[in-house]
Amino acid sequence: MYLFKEVPNIKFINKRYYAFALSGLIILAGVVMFFTRGFNMGIDFSGGTMIEVSFQKNTSVQQLRDSLKKINLGDAQITQIGNENKFFIKTMASLKKLNLKNAVKMEDVEEYEIVAREIRNGMMNAAERDQLVVGKIDLNNTAEGEISRFLRDKGLGDEDAQASAQIVIGLRKSKTGIITDFSVLEKAGVKHRVMGILRSLAFLGKFTFLSVEFVGPQVGKELRRKAALACIWALIGMLVYIAFRFKFLYGLSGILTLAHDVLVALSFILFFRIEMSLQVIAAILTIVGYSINDTIVVFDRLRDNLKIMKKDNLEAILDKSLNQTLSRSIFTSLTVFLTVMSLFLFGGEVIRPFAFTMLVGVIAGSYSTIYQSCAWLKVWEKYFLKRKKS
Amino acid sequence: MDKSMTWKVGLIIAVIALSIWLLWPLDKKINLGLDLKGGMHLIMEVVTDEALAIQSDMSVTQLKGLFKDGSIKYEKIVRKGFSKIEITGTLLDDERKIKDILDDDFRDWTYTAGGSLISLALRPNIEQQLRDQSVDQALETIRNRVDEFGVAEPTIQKEGMAGDKLLIDLPGIDNPERVKTLIKSTTMLEFRQVISGPFLTEEAALKEYNGQLPEDLEIVKTNPRRLDKGFYVLKAATVVPGKDLKSSRRAQDEYGAPAVGFSFNSQGAAQFEGFTAANIGKQLSIVLDDRIESVATIQDVISGDGIIKGRFTVDEVDDIVLVLRSGALPAPLKYIEERTIGPSLGADSIRKGLAACLGGLLLVVLFMLVYYRAAGINSILALLLNMLILMGIMAYFKANLSMPGIAGIILSIGMAVDANVLIFERIREELKAGKSPKSAIDAGFKKAFWTIFDSNLTTVISAVFLFQFGTGPIKGFAVTLIIGITASMFTAIFVSRVIFDLTYGRSKKLSKISI
Repeated sequence: MYLFKEVPNIKFINKRYYAFALSGLIILAGVVMFFTRGFNMGIDFSGGTMIEVSFQKNTSVQQLRDSLKKINLGDAQITQIGNENKFFIKTMASLKKLNLKNAVKMEDVEEYEIVAREIRNGMMNAAERDQLVVGKIDLNNTAEGEISRFLRDKGLGDEDAQASAQIVIGLRKSKTGIITDFSVLEKAGVKHRVMGILRSLAFLGKFTFLSVEFVGPQVGKELRRKAALACIWALIGMLVYIAFRFKFLYGLSGILTLAHDVLVALSFILFFRIEMSLQVIAAILTIVGYSINDTIVVFDRLRDNLKIMKKDNLEAILDKSLNQTLSRSIFTSLTVFLTVMSLFLFGGEVIRPFAFTMLVGVIAGSYSTIYQSCAWLKVWEKYFLKRKKS
Repeated sequence: MDKSMTWKVGLIIAVIALSIWLLWPLDKKINLGLDLKGGMHLIMEVVTDEALAIQSDMSVTQLKGLFKDGSIKYEKIVRKGFSKIEITGTLLDDERKIKDILDDDFRDWTYTAGGSLISLALRPNIEQQLRDQSVDQALETIRNRVDEFGVAEPTIQKEGMAGDKLLIDLPGIDNPERVKTLIKSTTMLEFRQVISGPFLTEEAALKEYNGQLPEDLEIVKTNPRRLDKGFYVLKAATVVPGKDLKSSRRAQDEYGAPAVGFSFNSQGAAQFEGFTAANIGKQLSIVLDDRIESVATIQDVISGDGIIKGRFTVDEVDDIVLVLRSGALPAPLKYIEERTIGPSLGADSIRKGLAACLGGLLLVVLFMLVYYRAAGINSILALLLNMLILMGIMAYFKANLSMPGIAGIILSIGMAVDANVLIFERIREELKAGKSPKSAIDAGFKKAFWTIFDSNLTTVISAVFLFQFGTGPIKGFAVTLIIGITASMFTAIFVSRVIFDLTYGRSKKLSKISI
């Protein structure tokens, strides 16, 4: 099978101004977005508390917000995960906001921890809170060691206590992370005697915290600096390497194409309010390293063609090189696109921002290789060819 | 098969065997990262400024002692900031003597003298050394504590550019609050002589001394959980410092209630014996973290060991014992990042990661088969080998597999076949130019090599920057990507070539290849 039966003859270079305009528009819109709305910063960068919670019953964002309003956290960012009963709750709130009485000044992270505890309390209904007060444990929110210790305190032997706790945690590894009924425990092999204790001294909470994360504000500050530095250094690394393997102007064109890819990816992150996090930075750095690949393929061919096609003008040589490598540019990107698409579709909510950024980056990278890398060389034709002759 | 072919095939088989050997058994060799198996991830900062302050305070005490011995007059010796000391009110006559002291015993300090003010500053290299030491010591102490607590396979390492941060990964940890308090505890056990008490309030205690407490005494609070709420006046100096404590264990008092048992080393024992002998009938207090835990009347000479009684629970006794055993932290710690991942999230991520992996692999395999037909099979074999090598190397380095790591593997699938695409496209081009299949294959591999090398190297370069910059899981992503790409240089170029040669090598007249 072939994409092109013969080497195509598409005029790319004379469309360069359209290409520049299109990219310019996207990036301009991104810049406007940046200054008006800004990035949706994840706690990696902004600091704060992030909780992933799973509910037993159908719950809406509004219901969740209402229960958070009671503890003055109505403005927390709540996002539903897919159409499951799972939500991310993100807040930068400190204790002050919660109007807690004996709020002494303490470390930020400890403060966030109390915020998390308050959120948990706020989400519980009165019946659940009462059960905690009388010393019952919530099997949907208690850790393995604690459950086993609890059972031991209630007079069970070490082995029984441990085995039962293991079964509970095993059941919580299900998709929802939540146990809905005591009968499930019995079916999973919890002993009759233990069931008696559990039924009377434990309860099954309506929700479970799948993960709780706190990041102090100073982390984000350092991270922002480091992320920017890493991107800039990676770009410089590319420039130096290509300038070394080819020539400076190739390097410069390559780096402009790359900067374009990064800016387009960032713009799309802004358009779609993708959360800025460590993994998004990882995706951007990967784009820097990857999307230069097909540019190198084109430049390689260009270097050969410049030797063979001495009589032709630069535009013809550039177009020829692009056309000769076109199927390569498309297919190398396509294979990565396919895998990233799979990651985007099946990889789950946690990795989706990464996959999204990569998807945009791979497409932008492929487009910019074809429409821009060589176009830049055309822009500098005077210098480029002069250099060649000397 | 000619000779060169034999060793090539041999090499490939050896690589396969080695990878499988490294990977077997799979569940033991591939470590899951915290985000996949659940647990607690902590980053904390060692407040090294405090360690410097402690060091400077010791130097102040030492200076005071030396000045006293040399009968040098001064008004004040105080610490300024973390690593500076100021001496005021000295006499001109003593200048020589002071200089001698500073030159001989304070080589770690630089000093400037102006009039009656002498300022000392810790040398920058010594300061850095002390900071590094305090981080190392904190790391060691925390490792001891975590080990004693019984966490399986913890990761404890330095982190951050300044090197003053510690990363602690505790897989499957079940009681975050308790572990965190334990790690951070600056618990110090001291034995101090009781002068008077108890008093209900601090004011009442002060009144005994007409509102002016002598310099060698101190008012200390009781721990209300063990003793009645109140205050005692204690000698500021400890009878036996915490470092002379040899061991500590869970014990019981005469009524069978939990208690903290301890023993001294020989030096501590001798000191304690001397003290108790001289102070029979007087009261002694045990101070933990600046709170009085226990007050007892000395009834006899005590030397080797003893117990601390109180209303302890078993867990409390265990925690105190653990902290005492692991040694003191050189400086306070500050949590700056904490992530707790529950068991279900990790299991869910594994399921989804696997699905994404298989999905990606399937899509790529389909594409390669449809577009390159028989040659596609070749690239798929190379790709599978690439995955095998990647996992083998990860197992060898005991790298943790995290969700970003899985993303790295998935990306590697897509990127590894890029090399095949480049080679195959080149071969097609050569065929179209009229070359024979054999020489087309030859030229395809030869001409594509440098292009593949260049483009892979750029990806590795940026992955290295990512590794430098990232923390934990992101590092995992960078590592899988680097390994995956490097391995693809071997599989897509070398292994693919061998497969081609094996398939088409035997037929003398090769007229058509499936590509």
